[in-house]
Amino acid sequence: MINLRNVRKFYGALEVIKGVDITVEDGEFAVFVGPSGCGKSTLLRMIAGLEGIDEGDLILNGKRINDVPPDKRGIAMVFQSYALYPHMSVAENIGFSLSLKKVPEAEIRRQVEAVAEILQLTDYLDRRPAALSGGQRQRVAIGRAIIKKPALILFDEPLSNLDSALRVQMRAELQRLHRELKATVVYVTHDQVEAMTMADRIVVLNKGFVAQEGAPMSLYHQPDNEFVATFIGSPKMNVIPVTATRASAGTLRLASPIGLSLDLADASGAVPQGEAKLGIRPEHLKIAPEGQGNFTAEVVIVERLGVETYMTVGSQEQPIVVRAEGDIAVRPGDRVSLTADPVACHLFDSAGRVIRPVAA
Amino acid sequence: MTVVSPGETANKGRSDLIAYATLSLISIFCAVPFFWVLLASFDGNAQLFLHWPQQWTFANYVRVFTKEDGAKWLFNSLFVVGGATLLVMVLAGLGGYALSRTRAWWKLPFLYAILLIRVLPPTALVVPLYKFLLTLNNAEAAVLRPIFGSYARDIMRWTGFIDGYLGLILVLATMQLPLALWIMKTFFDGLPRDYEEAALMDGATLIQRIRRVLIPLALPGLAAAGLFAFMSAWGDFLLPLIFLSSPELQTLPLGLFRAFLRINEIDYGLLTALAFIYLLPAVVAFGFARRFLVQTFSGGVKG
Repeated sequence: MINLRNVRKFYGALEVIKGVDITVEDGEFAVFVGPSGCGKSTLLRMIAGLEGIDEGDLILNGKRINDVPPDKRGIAMVFQSYALYPHMSVAENIGFSLSLKKVPEAEIRRQVEAVAEILQLTDYLDRRPAALSGGQRQRVAIGRAIIKKPALILFDEPLSNLDSALRVQMRAELQRLHRELKATVVYVTHDQVEAMTMADRIVVLNKGFVAQEGAPMSLYHQPDNEFVATFIGSPKMNVIPVTATRASAGTLRLASPIGLSLDLADASGAVPQGEAKLGIRPEHLKIAPEGQGNFTAEVVIVERLGVETYMTVGSQEQPIVVRAEGDIAVRPGDRVSLTADPVACHLFDSAGRVIRPVAA
Repeated sequence: MTVVSPGETANKGRSDLIAYATLSLISIFCAVPFFWVLLASFDGNAQLFLHWPQQWTFANYVRVFTKEDGAKWLFNSLFVVGGATLLVMVLAGLGGYALSRTRAWWKLPFLYAILLIRVLPPTALVVPLYKFLLTLNNAEAAVLRPIFGSYARDIMRWTGFIDGYLGLILVLATMQLPLALWIMKTFFDGLPRDYEEAALMDGATLIQRIRRVLIPLALPGLAAAGLFAFMSAWGDFLLPLIFLSSPELQTLPLGLFRAFLRINEIDYGLLTALAFIYLLPAVVAFGFARRFLVQTFSGGVKG
């Protein structure tokens, strides 16, 4: 189990990690995700020991390891560039850490072969990295990490150098490996799809803070703030500025300049009246019979994918993406009526914090 | 596909012909001196003008090594230039790494300042340099003479700053170091830190990181830097001329020059044999380093 307690990092006067608390349980696949510059790679390098920790505690299995050198932490890392030594064979690359520890040749060979077996690299052990495909290099990099039997494996955007087909395949392969090795993994990516598909726990980082952490689906369905709401999910959640007024006890009326009018159940009366933002995912907007929707808008772009269709409606300043099942007959220029599923609506205040509960 | 009329084809043929003829002429112009050197060096009766030898012979080469001090000149050249190259490679390897990785504010000013050394004509610095080395040399002699007595001169031949191997090696290395530092700095810039960090995480000590990761990775850059240093120092004539005076320390270009200056006889056979011997190490060095050169100047290490 790894604990980060109020961890901070400064570059000069600039604070890049602003007091982060994260816990990753044993055997968990945790993904740190966020836009570039959010501090996720810095955080990973701090766990690895490649960057110092200015404040707070880093605790691995009950032991504070802030000042333990990287190779003594029992942590392995897979680099974004893989960092395979081009002058060594695959076997030498995988066995490098053992050879540094002066483990006997025969024992190194045995362990390298065992790792190669797991990673399906047995036929490539004598090759140089330059003679391998992207996916094979990736596996060698993983092999170099797992041969150390680490308590924790760190991945720094490991799939970003692969093409999209290979990325999908490697995602599945990483999940399989994680299941087989029962390893604890911290994985950094900027790609929320990778995070959603692989993670047991996602930590969304923004500007050096943890924006939210939790299971993928809980982030998807119950985002704590506008940042997480729009970052998780593709295409991203529509956010529409609205004015909230109390229509009656238990009902909140949202109105927006684009002509939207929507009633939400609010039994508690917890939602303040005034300016707010309505968040609604593309799949929760439906085409309604004419005149019966919450608003009407002009279709600007239609993207047909066969199984589903994405429409962008509204103005350039306030585009709204709608997802419809199947291949529907809509053309740019058409006006459509749309209804929003009131149960799936999210409300955020002007600072972007979620306002709950909307429903009773 | 473009459509080409018969007339255009003929035109193209003619312009190709002109292009190839011009290129051939230029090539011949460039190659003739080398060809002359090669032919004349095996000619028993070599003349100033290019002609096919009537009798092929190794006599010119034999003369270089028996009648003249060719072997000594070759050794001196190889030792001095080789020593300077080695020194340059070590210093440029360490310095280039430091210059690549440091974020110090003086990095860029320093890099441009050292290029200045390269840009300044050495001839302009000869007088102060000579004076400086002479002072060092005298100081060294003052220390060595009381200790070693009559052996001091022999030691000074190796370690002296004037008329000694060490002085010339240092001066040659100094002249070559700026470019080598730039080459190595640029090379290390292209080498991701990930390699070192991966080694660090694998538990490699500083020495292990240098020996097992950095040196093998830097080899192409070191070869390029070493090659440039070697070729440039090998071709240097002025510095050995100024800093060496003992006959037993003469280098190949000095031997060649002095053979050419002899008053009564100009022995073209001997001169060309010497010239060919002088050419050979540069060509061999190039052959060795070519592989690394291509790698260095076409995008560094790919892993």
